[in-house]
Amino acid sequence: MTGLLIKDFRLLKVQKNFFTLIVFILLGMILFSEDNFFAVSFATFIFSLFSTSTVSYDEFDNGNPFLFSLPVTRKGYVLEKYCFGLILGGSAWFVSTLLVVIVQLTKGAASLTDLLLPSLALLPFMLFLLAVMLPIQLKFGSEKGRIVLIGVIGLIFLLGVLAVKAAEALHINLAFLFNSLSSLSMSALIFGAIAVMLLLLLLSLKISMAVMNRKEF
Amino acid sequence: MLKIEHVRKNYDTFSLDCSLEVPQGCVTGLIGQNGAGKTTTFKALLGLISIDGGSIQIFDKNLQEFQVQDKQKLGVVLSDSGFSGYLTVDDIIPVLTHLYDSFDQSFFLQHLQKFGLPRGKKIREFSTGMKAKLKVLAAISHNPRLLILDEPTAGLDVVARDELLDMLRTFMEQDEQRSILISSHISSDLETMCDDLYMIHEGRIILHEDTDVLLSDYALLKVNEEQYRRLDTQYLLCSRKESYGYSCLTNQKQFYLENYPEIAVEKGSIDNVVTMMIRGEKL
Repeated sequence: MTGLLIKDFRLLKVQKNFFTLIVFILLGMILFSEDNFFAVSFATFIFSLFSTSTVSYDEFDNGNPFLFSLPVTRKGYVLEKYCFGLILGGSAWFVSTLLVVIVQLTKGAASLTDLLLPSLALLPFMLFLLAVMLPIQLKFGSEKGRIVLIGVIGLIFLLGVLAVKAAEALHINLAFLFNSLSSLSMSALIFGAIAVMLLLLLLSLKISMAVMNRKEF
Repeated sequence: MLKIEHVRKNYDTFSLDCSLEVPQGCVTGLIGQNGAGKTTTFKALLGLISIDGGSIQIFDKNLQEFQVQDKQKLGVVLSDSGFSGYLTVDDIIPVLTHLYDSFDQSFFLQHLQKFGLPRGKKIREFSTGMKAKLKVLAAISHNPRLLILDEPTAGLDVVARDELLDMLRTFMEQDEQRSILISSHISSDLETMCDDLYMIHEGRIILHEDTDVLLSDYALLKVNEEQYRRLDTQYLLCSRKESYGYSCLTNQKQFYLENYPEIAVEKGSIDNVVTMMIRGEKL
């Protein structure tokens, strides 16, 4: 798997101009904007999603038959894509959060808990994104995958709307419920969500492996 | 070393049923037209496609039991697939070092220089010849026991082809336990490289012969109508109607030379045999 990880990090270099620009935008946001939450989420999602881009790079110019004739298993390949997404997304999240914390604490603008909780809340979303995007990318490729992804996002949005409508029908005020949560119960909720998303990611990994095992090159 | 028995793969418009064997220390050639099933055979034995029947054994091991460690002993070149064009040679060196336990970096670097392959240039900017050399170099740089080469010389000029074949000859000379399975459109490549040849047509093996036998015992008989009627057909494989009469393929050249001294006998070549086996009428 190390060989494949090296390959993907080398592919990252291909987009170095794009990612350098992203880093500068992020630094600008963190230094000069009040909305740090957006900067961290932007960095986390952009970097973790590069994992799906490497799947396209591998497929480019019919590269997969050769790739899978190397000492690489299909399971190992899938596992590497998840690890790569987690490493990149996790690193981007960690570094951007660290920068936000340093900048904001220096400014004395907010407490550590107020800074960390929104950042932590991003992690389940990052895991969710990887869990959804990777199997779609592996199964449908970049062209069809885009259409399927729009469908999946639409479905998730619809389910969200239905959940809000259902809460309204049951006279549950969701905004009030979230606002009334203490920091402690909020962090418990976030860690609970991370645990659930990790399970979802494992399920997604299994699905991706099954997808790859059926693929013909 | 490699044995495949009745490997079947069915598509809507094509079906493969192929058996062949590559013994240890041998270079075996697979020859056939475009779409005859060469690449499908290669893909099947590399596990890139599922098969509908038959068995594939490499190093006396079923392909289903093949592990990453076993794949380290294979060197593969595919005609239409290679390293990502976005990478440079410098990018693939650490990848190969980590994928293969016995990757010989100094051998690789030495040959990069010999072939004039730039280390910092993106592979997609390489010429066809440079790409082909890089593929073969990468395939032989980890001391593999079996090379599987699908059209390694496709699109190359004579000089580049010669350099590449030399590299393969040296590879074979270094260790007599090594083997190669190679496919090519260019019959002269196979004539000079291979110990034996399989000919594939419409997904079936239609001929298997030692290259020496094919070149010494096979011949094309060119006869007129009268000579054709008098000809003993028991050693003829196939014949084809021509403007002057018939051309007939035999695997017993000596018999016809001795018994029919008046007929024109053209020495056997891979091209002759391929053309006759595919376009001729079986007798």
